[in-house]
Amino acid sequence: MSDQLAMAISDLEEEAAVKLVGERLAAGTDPMAILASCQEGMTLVGKRYESGEYFISDLMMAGEIFKATTAPLASRIATGKGGGKGKIVLGTVKGDIHNIGKDIVVGLLRAAGYEVLDLGVDVPPQKFVDTVKETGAKIVGLSGLLTIAFDSMKETIAALAAAGLRPGVKVMIGGGPMTATVKDYAGADAWGNNAQAAVSVANEWSKGVAHE
Amino acid sequence: MSNEALYQERMDRIGKAMRCEPVDRIPVIYMGVAFSPRYMGMSIAKFCEDPEACVDATVAAMDRLNQFGGLDGINLAQTGRITPALTTMWLARLGVPGRDLPPESLWQVREEEVMTQADYDAIIEKGWQNFLMGYLPKIIDMAEFGEFVHWAETKTGLMLQKYRDHGFGIICAAAGAPPFEYLCGGRSMEKFFLDLYRMPDKVQAAMDAAFPEMIGGTVGLAKMMGAPGVWLGGWRAASALLAPKLWNRFVWPYYVKFAHALIDAGLTPVFHWDQDWTRDLARLAELPAKKCVLNPDGMTDVRKFKELVGDRMALLGDVPPALLSVGTPDEVRAYVRDLVRDIGPTGLLLCPGCDAPINAKPENMEAFVAAGKEFGAG
Repeated sequence: MSDQLAMAISDLEEEAAVKLVGERLAAGTDPMAILASCQEGMTLVGKRYESGEYFISDLMMAGEIFKATTAPLASRIATGKGGGKGKIVLGTVKGDIHNIGKDIVVGLLRAAGYEVLDLGVDVPPQKFVDTVKETGAKIVGLSGLLTIAFDSMKETIAALAAAGLRPGVKVMIGGGPMTATVKDYAGADAWGNNAQAAVSVANEWSKGVAHE
Repeated sequence: MSNEALYQERMDRIGKAMRCEPVDRIPVIYMGVAFSPRYMGMSIAKFCEDPEACVDATVAAMDRLNQFGGLDGINLAQTGRITPALTTMWLARLGVPGRDLPPESLWQVREEEVMTQADYDAIIEKGWQNFLMGYLPKIIDMAEFGEFVHWAETKTGLMLQKYRDHGFGIICAAAGAPPFEYLCGGRSMEKFFLDLYRMPDKVQAAMDAAFPEMIGGTVGLAKMMGAPGVWLGGWRAASALLAPKLWNRFVWPYYVKFAHALIDAGLTPVFHWDQDWTRDLARLAELPAKKCVLNPDGMTDVRKFKELVGDRMALLGDVPPALLSVGTPDEVRAYVRDLVRDIGPTGLLLCPGCDAPINAKPENMEAFVAAGKEFGAG
């Protein structure tokens, strides 16, 4: 990687990264090019996490740096949202108020180019259904840390099916206690217990390849 | 055999297993705070509100499970209301069933920033206990907290006796954690983790200022309780969550100091570690042999623990909560069988990882106890 900004982000050097963005904007660099560098840095962060070099704390710090570096770009980029890779509806399911894992996943998916509709925590099944209907999103992410989330995930996926949306929507579940057994129990299409898995799954689905 | 004789026999077995000595059979230990009321048909709101009912439901659940093969005791004894206890452990507000949440829902810690960055200075200047007196009103009604403390001071001995009267041993009756967990709970995980990158010296200064009082308080409480172990918690400090440079600076040195202080006081540190700590398991070999217990939740690689730490430390665990919730009795039985084969027969105490969750299937918990008898007898 030769881009200084991408390197600063991937090395978690917050001050240097923010300074570089300021300098590039002042020099008239295309904000889209700056955004691309930020995303490149985040991609490397994700790879370092996957390889075991980085840990959750590093992902959180990287997400914070990504927010700080892309904040001044938002008003200068026409679409403002990124989201070129598609929409994802994501939330922590009903009965569970844990937001940390969800927030990390939201940050990584946005950095990876997805438009994420973050529904928050303790989200009832109908809210997922309504949002999928309104937005036409093809991917739904259900987050949960507690084992009581398993039933809520199952109910949410059943609600999507009852609304006739299930055939056109892929559902992933994520959180510390998730396993293949839980995926089968809930009726999901994929599962993960680390944040980067969500990006990998979304990327595969976006290419039209199912991840089981 | 009288229940007192049974208690003595079980405590002897538990003690031997904790010290990695040979046992006649592997102890089977209960832990299932929220499972107890569900199993006994008590509402979660009642369990949270009534301190004696909470203890009675726990002992009754143990009595019932005992019929499926024999329970030796409990990991961390419930002696009163759970939500004020968790509030003081997390330094965070809690959603309480029947008050803030529907009566049958699970209590939940609210992930929000209550402690501020300025509070680091307050801890450094005032000391830990003085700081807490000003901080606690932000997270709990002080009248409720006063009742909780009064109950603990006047009733804990009677509550502990209930377990003994039913023949059950107690591993831990007091709990503590390194400063990392208290500060992380108060600051919220995201804010605290960012502090570790942005103002590490300040965080460490606050930890160092608070730590001696934390140790002193936990040792004093544990000595008063009389149980052999002290539950040393860890959840956000897990290896899987923290970069090594942070873990080596903000986590491990504090566990080492805490462990030595407990051992010096004749107590056994029980590392109740949630999440995945596999990366740093080798560090456990630095602690005095056969003086500590590891109590993981099913996410840490216990076979790696056996390989790296060997017979220097006992394992208390680690049937995964998710398996108890959505698995089958056959799967639970197989898990216990493999655990005994790979980790036992010495230095093992069978127990649910973390604890049996609210939605653990009764038949799975019963299969856990039955498997303990089937495979633990050697």
